[in-house]
Amino acid sequence: MSNILEIKKLSLKIGIQDILHDISVTVPQQGIVSVLGANGVGKTSLMRCISGIYHPTGGQILLEGEDISKLKSHQIVDRGIMQAPEGRQIFSNMSVLENLIIGGGPLGRQELDHVLALFPRLEERLKQQAGSMSGGEQQMLCIGRALMRKPKVLLLDEPSLGLAPRLVGFICDLVSKIRSEGYAVLLVEQNVKAALRISDMAAVIEHGKIVIEGDAKALSNDPRVAEAYLGGHVHESA
Amino acid sequence: MLDPYILQQLAIGLSLGMIYALMAIGFTLIFGVLNVVNFAHGEIYTIGAFAGLMVISVFGPPLLVVLFIALATGALAGFGLERLAFRPFRRFSDEASLKSRAMREATLMSSLAMSIIAREAMEMIFGSQFQSVDLAYLINKPIGIGPITIVNGDLIIFGITVVMLGGLQWLLKKSPVGLSIRAVSNNALGAKYCGINTDRTIIITFVIGSAMGALAGILVGLYYGAIFPSMGFTPGIKAFVAMVMGGLSSIPGAVISAIILGLSESLSTSFMSSVWSDMVAYAFLLLTLIFFPQGLFGARRERV
Repeated sequence: MSNILEIKKLSLKIGIQDILHDISVTVPQQGIVSVLGANGVGKTSLMRCISGIYHPTGGQILLEGEDISKLKSHQIVDRGIMQAPEGRQIFSNMSVLENLIIGGGPLGRQELDHVLALFPRLEERLKQQAGSMSGGEQQMLCIGRALMRKPKVLLLDEPSLGLAPRLVGFICDLVSKIRSEGYAVLLVEQNVKAALRISDMAAVIEHGKIVIEGDAKALSNDPRVAEAYLGGHVHESA
Repeated sequence: MLDPYILQQLAIGLSLGMIYALMAIGFTLIFGVLNVVNFAHGEIYTIGAFAGLMVISVFGPPLLVVLFIALATGALAGFGLERLAFRPFRRFSDEASLKSRAMREATLMSSLAMSIIAREAMEMIFGSQFQSVDLAYLINKPIGIGPITIVNGDLIIFGITVVMLGGLQWLLKKSPVGLSIRAVSNNALGAKYCGINTDRTIIITFVIGSAMGALAGILVGLYYGAIFPSMGFTPGIKAFVAMVMGGLSSIPGAVISAIILGLSESLSTSFMSSVWSDMVAYAFLLLTLIFFPQGLFGARRERV
């Protein structure tokens, strides 16, 4: 299977701080790859590098073989990478519909029906101010907005953050559904259990380095993962 | 029945308010996308007036062409201003700089510096005296309406401003460019994730805002028949007051506040000497800051 996105030996320094160190992750044409880890290990920084918000200090990010690590954020979106970022970053005082249309960019409303079919909840609220919706609905809007551009790769940064358990299940099902439509998804999560359940491949980051990687099924049975992230043992980083 | 004098002053005040509104929109748009006050906005107004004056004295084209040239010169000046005074400070895009007040204040200072340079340059070229405008172009032909007399300039200013405001509203609500401007003002980081070219959006905002400022300049120049290098200072301050009263980043708020300001200034001449009428704006500014720090329309505030 060919890979659509390849991250090779990526490193990032901000000031004197080493944020990321030799990170390599590949995302296949279709499937969910997740990058897991506790708070503050550099997961979001990795996602920001891919979207061109940060520029990596070393390594490459290849999208279909082209290095995009030096491009600006809008050029990266034009090449087909959309992100549902941490903190959602929706346009809170614009309407839901306007948020979606902005996400669609040159595609405009073309994908609107498709996105609304995935999120019937948004259809009821198209005219509402985005910031007045609940956290779960805002998360749906954030993912829907990213899908409006029909991206080649969808980046999801902590979609479960701050959501009620019932909604975490909904978002997981949704990400699986998006995968089955043929999307390549790179998912970053703290909720290791939920992420491993829906992923094909996974990697665990600690202190800016990948410490464990492999098949998601194998990882959920890995004693190190079980102990540190799945509550197999009482452990402070659980 | 209202006293004709009051009616007369209301008509004048409305024109004044419309001019402030044109200026305040530029301020507000730019503040929206950058969160920085553009201190050179008053000079853009002056540049618009001088551009019109030069075209009139060299070619003497129809009025509409003069207005269009002022508009275009303003747009160009806005583009240059963004490049020289604002863009260089956006290179520092790491999180610490984005949150730093020093960075914002540096941008503020650089726009102030540009305004001083532009004003002094115009004084060197044109001298600091009033430049008189060819009488044929003045828009002060009296028109009698019942008991009061307005001039055709009042109608022209009113008409042009309404068209510009309507056009701007359409642009911001319906066009992709307008959506980008609103997106960047609402959430600049979110806009980047949506593939909006934020640098280009900021330039477009400067171009639109400055074009409107320059148009206000030439309209006032033709209305009063006097154009001089420091003419942008007072309207710049008034527009700033209107922006603050409107809640810093609300365009409807700024427009309404500008009109209130214009009307109050012109009505105030019934109670005090007209040299004191500038006081009204400053009093409004103080009262707003003390009692409505969010602006008069801050409660239901929509940025841009």
